[in-house]
Amino acid sequence: MAVPMPSSYDAIVIGGGHNGLTHAAYLARAGRRVLVLERRHVLGGAAVTEEVFPGFKFSVCSYVVSLLRPEIIRELDLPRHGLEILPLDGTFTPMPNGDYLWRMSDHARTRREIYRHSPLDAEAYDEYSKAMADMARFVKPILSMVPPDPLSFDVPGFSRLFAMGRRFQRLPRTDQHNILQLMTMSAVDLLDQWFETDVLKATMSASGIIGTFLGVRSPGTAYVLLHHYMGEIDGVFRSWGFSRGGTGAISMAIAGAAQEAGVEIRTGASIERIKVRAGRATGVVLEGGEEIDAPVVSSSVDPHRTFLKMVEPGVLDDGFLSEVRRYKLRGSSGKVNLALDALPDFTALPGPGPHLRGAISISPSIEYMEKAYDQAKYGEFSAHPYIDMVIPSLTDPSVAPPGKHILSCFVQYAPYKLREGNWDEKREAFGDAVVDTIAQYAPNLKKIIRHRQVLTPLDLEREWGLTEGNIFQGELSLEQLFFLRPVPGWARYRTPVRGLYMCGSATHPGGGIMGAPGRIAALELLKDWKRGKVA
Amino acid sequence: MKADVIVIGGGHNGLVAAALLARGGLKPLVLERRDILGGAAVTEEFHPGFKASTVAHLLGPLRASVVHDLDLRHRGLAFIEPEPRVFAPMPEGGGVCLWGDAGKTAFELRKLSAKDAEAYPELHRSLSAISAYLSRLLVLTPPDIDRPLRGPILPWVGLGMGFRGLGREDAQRLLRWGPMAVADFASEWFSSEVLRALVCGRGIHGLFAGPWSAGTTANLLLQSATGDGNAAGTAVQVTGGLGSLIGALTAAARQHGAEIRTGAAVERIVVKDGQVGGVVLASGEEIAARAVVSSADPKRTFLGLLDPAVLDPDDVRRLRNYRQQGMASKVNLALDALPVFRGDVPSEVLRGRIHVGPDVDDLERAFDDAKYGGISRQPYLEATIPTLSDPALAPAGKHVMSVYVQFTPYALRDGGGWEARRDEVGDVTLKTLERYAPGLTRLVLGRQVLTPVDLERTYGLTGGHPSHGEMALDQLFLARPLIGWGRYRGPLPGLYMCGAGTHPGGGVTGAPAANAAREILADLK
Repeated sequence: MAVPMPSSYDAIVIGGGHNGLTHAAYLARAGRRVLVLERRHVLGGAAVTEEVFPGFKFSVCSYVVSLLRPEIIRELDLPRHGLEILPLDGTFTPMPNGDYLWRMSDHARTRREIYRHSPLDAEAYDEYSKAMADMARFVKPILSMVPPDPLSFDVPGFSRLFAMGRRFQRLPRTDQHNILQLMTMSAVDLLDQWFETDVLKATMSASGIIGTFLGVRSPGTAYVLLHHYMGEIDGVFRSWGFSRGGTGAISMAIAGAAQEAGVEIRTGASIERIKVRAGRATGVVLEGGEEIDAPVVSSSVDPHRTFLKMVEPGVLDDGFLSEVRRYKLRGSSGKVNLALDALPDFTALPGPGPHLRGAISISPSIEYMEKAYDQAKYGEFSAHPYIDMVIPSLTDPSVAPPGKHILSCFVQYAPYKLREGNWDEKREAFGDAVVDTIAQYAPNLKKIIRHRQVLTPLDLEREWGLTEGNIFQGELSLEQLFFLRPVPGWARYRTPVRGLYMCGSATHPGGGIMGAPGRIAALELLKDWKRGKVA
Repeated sequence: MKADVIVIGGGHNGLVAAALLARGGLKPLVLERRDILGGAAVTEEFHPGFKASTVAHLLGPLRASVVHDLDLRHRGLAFIEPEPRVFAPMPEGGGVCLWGDAGKTAFELRKLSAKDAEAYPELHRSLSAISAYLSRLLVLTPPDIDRPLRGPILPWVGLGMGFRGLGREDAQRLLRWGPMAVADFASEWFSSEVLRALVCGRGIHGLFAGPWSAGTTANLLLQSATGDGNAAGTAVQVTGGLGSLIGALTAAARQHGAEIRTGAAVERIVVKDGQVGGVVLASGEEIAARAVVSSADPKRTFLGLLDPAVLDPDDVRRLRNYRQQGMASKVNLALDALPVFRGDVPSEVLRGRIHVGPDVDDLERAFDDAKYGGISRQPYLEATIPTLSDPALAPAGKHVMSVYVQFTPYALRDGGGWEARRDEVGDVTLKTLERYAPGLTRLVLGRQVLTPVDLERTYGLTGGHPSHGEMALDQLFLARPLIGWGRYRGPLPGLYMCGAGTHPGGGVTGAPAANAAREILADLK
């Protein structure tokens, strides 16, 4: 047997997105020598700020901070590394009839606004908010839990599950009922039980579908609704908001913390393959042939990329590979970034005002949302899509030249697989559909667009390495969550290759700028090291 | 008058419960609103000389222990188990048959796709193993959520061991499949469209959901577990139609000492001091009893037959939100001759289920229509021609075609309601069938259309839902009908449930009633 080459690193982390960086930071803080390899010229993965047009800095992909774990902010001392979260105030939904719904973070004003649409709903809104907060409190511990393996004698795993079971059992009956529904129902079915105002339900249900290939009436979307709700109640540090300098600033703060702990970071370093000898990872080979050795390789990229592209054929058994192939990525969304000469002027509430400082949602009715989905099911992008927009330049003027603005539009649905044609042909038509849709509510839009960047799921795949353009590195559907993420039997950050770990959004607890997968994976890896057996 | 136990509803579950309670030594009284027994399991003459199982047309199948304990085979019950079990016609002619014998099916599938033919036996094996495991769950009373360790613990330990006994692969599959969309499930196994659509048909059957809706695979697994786990599904019928089953059940119940009254509509359930004490009939007659067992659906039982004041307002809210919107209609056709399917399809293959809907996207589109409150322009159909195995149902040489039609939502968005649109369902059904069996319309001597509203009015299915409530993940097992009410008992002492709105749910199986009878006997004896 060959003596392993001495290497200067304890671990190589593939991918310099927020999870890869978080992972690296935790390893280095425990005294390990870590190298992060990023394929692009810039760090951050999908949490990145780029000057797409001169003077206009866009959070190109991910555009708001949702669930960044407070323990990561605390433990890595991110504010000291430049993280500053600016509040994202409310959601403004213009309606085709000239009316609007404007929910603000000021609860009392939101109640008055909802009362204007329906007194009953204003009452229900309080109860609903309380119920959701209760649910979120119950579900939250799962986010920092290592999923148990139901098929092995995993005593600590089972005792954690058992403890959750006990907590569930002690909840009031209505809470039990609500949790069960949340886990399985559709967002609309759930909201129908509380509210009658269509536009309110439509806008609220939208957070149940973001990033998924599901409609607001699809079972399972209620859970995603909660997933997004959890950010809103994170106590100390408000975690729904913009990051000053764009989402890239989050990645840079984490990178700062990582580097301070001794992590070495290389950009422009694309992995050709992961070296495996005798069932054990021994390092990586870069494009161009350079080899870097390390006894541990942690991949923050998705399982398709990791196991089907980076690991040589023949290393992994067919059963595992077919499970990996089954893992559903299925991108459903695109992004349109606009550089503007002035602010958009909405017919429903003309002029500049605080309503432009929050999210602006094109979700006028449930039927509108569901019809947008219907088109995607049959392989077309939505002619009238759901759009979630923000104008970060109002809150953070540093991202645009003086007096100018940026409008960042998240657009759903844009299926990765088109039934006819391809995305290179349809990119601009898609961009036009988005601009046309918004212009129906803000007629001045077309005149004030200086530049336009359209990102299709194919672009997200090519440029950011998100396979099939899925922003969560895999559908957040029940069969791909918790101990089934990414594949059954391998939900504990380890893989069939010894020394190869997963630490990206394709592992529990999933996508969003959360950092949790990177952190939990690091803690698991450190445990293995401590025990002296790298799994 | 005073009875031991009153059973509300003389459908198959009500009768199974009554028969088993009587066999266990109680004196049950069954009260049926209609003049005939059977509920949704009936044989009726829908056109002069033509009889059919007008609502449900297939058995679930019936739980074996019910058949055995009530000695149904000796009471004139004869099962028909047709082969092939299912035939899926294609618009261009011909079609696919699935047989009880997986090897035979695989052989036939080779003409469709070599890869699918290879995958089929493995799906059959895996589904059979998982179904055998799940079927053990179906006979158990769901655990008490507040005191899960109360009661016999051994079956649960056995179930835990059984899970590991499945082996890693099947156990993982069971976990992963449950919440999946059946369209995903189907495409993991098969590449040919018609085979995928066949699998999807089983996943969406009886649900207000399309093949792309999450959780539809769970429906398929439940159906498999109710049957024999065969990848083809089952197609069990009864000689004489489902009315014969009711005849046999009635005989068994009476022989064991149950009393059965028809034309006796229960107006309300009497509650005194928080305890259920009997019922009042529409005629005004009051009947006292130690306990009342309702085989009606949960909404009818708790919101229709009880004074809401006796319930906790939270429970009332939860019941109102119990999802029970029907999506299916039934079209029964009296035919002058046997329909001829395109491509020289031999009549022998038409004895089982005929699955109409060879394309997954079309099934999804059928659901799309219903989602927006419309009648599907091209619905998913499950047809049977019972006269092929049981000619006595029609005059000599004539046939009956019984067609289950999905999706036709109970709540129509427009068009003046179901009364005005009944014929539309008949027309769209014939139009859809014409694509596969041209000339069928000319054979129609008479037709009966039962819309979701008919299912509600005539057969008492609230919301027209064939399974007494959506078989969705949040309305199953210990949460059927509601979490905390999953053990055949509601919040009122003396009131029990034994219908399809309890675990393990819908289908002509007798399963909920058999479980409920066991619980009731344990309480009352």
